[in-house]
Amino acid sequence: MDYSFDFQSVSFGPLWEGLIVTLQLTIAANLIGIVFGFPLALLIMSRFAPARLPAMLFVEFFRCTPAIVQIVWFFYCVPMLFNVFLGSMTMGIMALGLNLMAFNAEAYRAAIQAVPREQLDASIALGLNPLQRTLYIVLPTAVRASIPVLLTNGIGIFQQSALVAIVAVQDLMYQAKTLATETYRPIETFTVVALVYFAVSFPVSQIVGYLERRRQLIMS
Amino acid sequence: MTLDFSIVLRFQEALALGLWMTIKLTLICVVLGCSLGFSIGLARTSRSALLRAASSIYVEFFRGTPVLVQLFWIFFCLPLILGVELSNLTSGVIALTLYMGAISSETFRASLKSIGPEQLDACVALDLPRRVQVTSVILPQAVLRAVPTLLSNCVSLFKESALVSAVGMADLMFVGQNISNNTARPVEVLTVVALIYFVIAFPLTRAVTLVERRVLAKLAI
Repeated sequence: MDYSFDFQSVSFGPLWEGLIVTLQLTIAANLIGIVFGFPLALLIMSRFAPARLPAMLFVEFFRCTPAIVQIVWFFYCVPMLFNVFLGSMTMGIMALGLNLMAFNAEAYRAAIQAVPREQLDASIALGLNPLQRTLYIVLPTAVRASIPVLLTNGIGIFQQSALVAIVAVQDLMYQAKTLATETYRPIETFTVVALVYFAVSFPVSQIVGYLERRRQLIMS
Repeated sequence: MTLDFSIVLRFQEALALGLWMTIKLTLICVVLGCSLGFSIGLARTSRSALLRAASSIYVEFFRGTPVLVQLFWIFFCLPLILGVELSNLTSGVIALTLYMGAISSETFRASLKSIGPEQLDACVALDLPRRVQVTSVILPQAVLRAVPTLLSNCVSLFKESALVSAVGMADLMFVGQNISNNTARPVEVLTVVALIYFVIAFPLTRAVTLVERRVLAKLAI
């Protein structure tokens, strides 16, 4: 191999700006996913079919199509179908947020189903109404149980957020593509960018591993 | 605006070609990726620290970076480093196989871990050689337990394969985007593309649930 590396040509200014955009996308999408995923999970589990079926369709659709298709669809079709023109950042957040909502809803559902039967019996015996039961009994237990999966999904969306570069949102990946083309230094640029993504997601996945181990210890 | 889905029918052959590319890519990478994943899974549980460290770095790196970045790296950097031209298909296969290898090695590792120590004790008591332990005791159980998760890994791979459109491989997504750009009918074309992906992936996810129930019943846990 006769390639001479030149990491000097990787300018960190644009990459830093890109990383900020990527993090903004990730955090905003996670807020949407964590907050709205829970009611969606309740809808999926509802006994009332007209509420359950659309919710299930929504979740299955987001889980069974590629994220890139969803994002491209969102950017091209939403403005045409609904005649709304939002900034690319807002669109990116919404596309990623809806995707994460579907995945988090599944995580919440598993956690809700794992809430012990006795707790529900007890809450009925205490005369709590369904709303109180959901808010004070199911929600706290289920949210705590689903934290590892929510975090894993959160890193997932951090990685998926690289896809918005394809529809020209100026995130880390987009800046990397521009920089690589401008400097003719793809190896250095993409290696640095891969390391940046890794540096963010690796610690989070370690935390997930730690939380899961601790949970298993508590359970056993 | 008026929607006219009949426009998609005019391009059904192109879409079929794209779909075939997507399926071909997925199948090749499933086979290669699962074999790679199993060896890496074994390496991660091996007694040699070097082997363990190397395989962990590989897995963590591929799980910790976006697949899009991996694809770009392999498409643009690998040919420069190796000094040879790689065809689109080869680069795509390399990238997705490495990705599939990383995620399925985790699956195999988890299933290897779930095989109780009493099984190994029994192997020792029966004085089975290491090779027989692996091929006749560990492998069948590990694979059986891994099947449901492997299937859902395959669904992920099928979905991630749409990323190769970003580097110009003519898969279903690429063909769909091309048609939608040329006809200025993104709503119809992209919706149909999304539906095609859905129609394939959805039954597979149902199959995962079914297989899971079967496997659990068979293992009686």
